[in-house]
Amino acid sequence: MSTLLLDPIQPTARQVPIHSARMQSRPTEPTDTQTLGQLFAEFADATYTLSYRILGDRHLAEDVVQETFIKVIRALPTYRGEGPIAAWIYRIGYREAITMSRKRRDDVTDPDSAVFANLPAAESVEDTVMSMDLVERIDVAMGSLSEPVRAAFTLRDIQGLPTREVAEILDVSQSAVKMRLARAREALRVQLKEYLA
Amino acid sequence: MTLSCSDLDALLPEFLDGELTPDQEAQAGEHLATCAQCTLELSELQGVTRLYREHGALKLPDDARKRIAAALDIEL
Repeated sequence: MSTLLLDPIQPTARQVPIHSARMQSRPTEPTDTQTLGQLFAEFADATYTLSYRILGDRHLAEDVVQETFIKVIRALPTYRGEGPIAAWIYRIGYREAITMSRKRRDDVTDPDSAVFANLPAAESVEDTVMSMDLVERIDVAMGSLSEPVRAAFTLRDIQGLPTREVAEILDVSQSAVKMRLARAREALRVQLKEYLA
Repeated sequence: MTLSCSDLDALLPEFLDGELTPDQEAQAGEHLATCAQCTLELSELQGVTRLYREHGALKLPDDARKRIAAALDIEL
């Protein structure tokens, strides 16, 4: 039976502040189940969203979530509270997703590889999406963006992180993030015009 | 100073992220008050963020959550 799933999360003196906060102190034990359970409960969905938006594949995104939290477990004892713990976890998740994406690109025998790349070319995307419901349409529209643009847009506009934190997570300048956001918003505006009135 | 449409276009990313200076904000507001095309474009760009904020986030499926939690327990 899973400890991480079933352990009730109770406030304790060692409560971990989550969004845009820094850890007050390092966990004293690498196996601090309550802390890890809390982090998993808080960030599993967000890590899954980021991974799926980068990879376009739910199964691979689930694998990324698992790998991310394994790395979190291993690295938590060395986390020094130098930044928001959310950004630290997103950074690990982003790197895992990129690693997974490269691996998939290299694996030419994988029939499921390059999910977004297999979508229709930009010119025909609109025709394809006409028959899809909204959720599928926003998926397909995002699939037309490049991977770095998707990552920036997901962190800023879906997750709502500040531009500065997005830049830190992606290891690029804030102006690069802004450029990617402008590109994403404009491309999505054109593709989803009928939903934006 | 009155902004042109292309001036405003250049300011849109900062406008959308609430990062304009008070002066820039005033100038942008002045332009938007008289330009229907830029007002529409701005509204659509805001709509993109709203659409994805409402529908773009995903929930890790329960079966995956259980499987991953069990795998993480092995790591502990």
